[in-house]
Amino acid sequence: MASAKSIDRLSPQSLMILDDYHRYHEDYSILKGIVTDTLEKCCKDNAIVVTAISARTKTESSLVEKLERKGYKYSSIFDITDIVGARIVLFYTDEVDKISAFVERIFDVDWDNSVDKRKLMRNDSFGYMSLHYICRIPETLYKNPEHPSVNRIRFEIQMRTTLQHAWASINHDLGYKPGVGIPSSYNRALFRIAGMLELVDEEFSRIRHEITNYRRKVEDLVSDGDFDKVELNMDTFRSYIAINPFASLNDRISCINQAEIMPVSPLFFLEPLEWLGFKTLGDVEKMRKEYSEAAYQLALHQLSGTDLDIISSNLSLQNLCLCYIADHENPLNLMAEFLRLINFASSSTEEKAEHIYENILSLPCMIQKNKTNKDQ
Amino acid sequence: MNVTLNNDGGKTLVVLDGRLDTTNVEQFQNDIAPLMEGEKPDIEIDCTNMTYTSSQGLRMFLMLQKSVSSRGGHLVMKNMSPQVREVFDITGFSHIITIL
Repeated sequence: MASAKSIDRLSPQSLMILDDYHRYHEDYSILKGIVTDTLEKCCKDNAIVVTAISARTKTESSLVEKLERKGYKYSSIFDITDIVGARIVLFYTDEVDKISAFVERIFDVDWDNSVDKRKLMRNDSFGYMSLHYICRIPETLYKNPEHPSVNRIRFEIQMRTTLQHAWASINHDLGYKPGVGIPSSYNRALFRIAGMLELVDEEFSRIRHEITNYRRKVEDLVSDGDFDKVELNMDTFRSYIAINPFASLNDRISCINQAEIMPVSPLFFLEPLEWLGFKTLGDVEKMRKEYSEAAYQLALHQLSGTDLDIISSNLSLQNLCLCYIADHENPLNLMAEFLRLINFASSSTEEKAEHIYENILSLPCMIQKNKTNKDQ
Repeated sequence: MNVTLNNDGGKTLVVLDGRLDTTNVEQFQNDIAPLMEGEKPDIEIDCTNMTYTSSQGLRMFLMLQKSVSSRGGHLVMKNMSPQVREVFDITGFSHIITIL
């Protein structure tokens, strides 16, 4: 609430504006809701990740303070464009441009009063960077004869990056409007930070762009089957999984007991695969080709005497790894460690490793493989 | 299969006793229904006296795990006999549930 003393100082014109502010309070509330809901839906529909979307109605005391300072500029409540204000904070500078394009399409933008502070900045200066649009709600978005003013009231939308927001918020916390009234000794320090944050914003956008390109390139290499050229990491493993490399082995295993295959993300296995020393998708693919039969026979050995008719979609990958380990140096220690990694661990992990290892060695395909190796 | 549910502070302790198979899986589903409600559940299932679980039982535990995860909670199964543990291992579900 504004103090009676402050209100007493207002001109008759400003007092009339203050009366109107109270009269239209319900309209401000409706407007705020429409703006917030519309922006949230727009970001959701267009996969724009936002740090925050907020809206507020100017408080009475803030309006009185404004009218005290520059009430002479306003002849009606509708001349004040920031009684309702919304803010969208986004991660990347290019997302600010993207959301601004949507705002232009959704709302009626008052171009004469909208400001792109980013473009106003001189080439040799740094500071407050934010995009401010003054808008109205078009009747296509909202129309209610009981609240016609909702379409008449102008409101402000501020769009900025998280770093721009942090800079502006800290300035505000220090008690200054960006660039205004700051003691000169601190001015340079604050604007130096603004310059640095602008650079960091650009770097984040550049890195994001490069990562997007990298992922696209990986997808191409994977779909072309150039697995040896692709380093094993989270992104590449995701692309590899997307081509369902283990589907046919899972299908084959599921036939043992006519089992249901429950889909489970194979990303869990990335760490065990890296731990096994796999460097490229080619290494994973080589294991898949070389040990598919053994992985199937291991499942056959384990499941055929049971009534278990549900399996995880990771069972094929699990068995592939176990058979791969059994066929390499130091298998028992390696297998016990692997079992711990994939949560097979118990008080008898070593015994379990030994048991699985013996099972794998007794699989027909492994006996044949070892015989061939000996003969050579 | 006997199911006992106890609240210990914020944690729900579940004690299982007996076989879990086709004959009693429906009853088991009813018994654990309270575990399917509430935010951020913290559940510990003691399997010391669970002698066997069939596929249907396994499905129940997976369903419970999914429900608990979706509500931001935590589920732990402990003291499984080697026979019960084997069911989780050879079907590829050991890494889905925290088994101690």
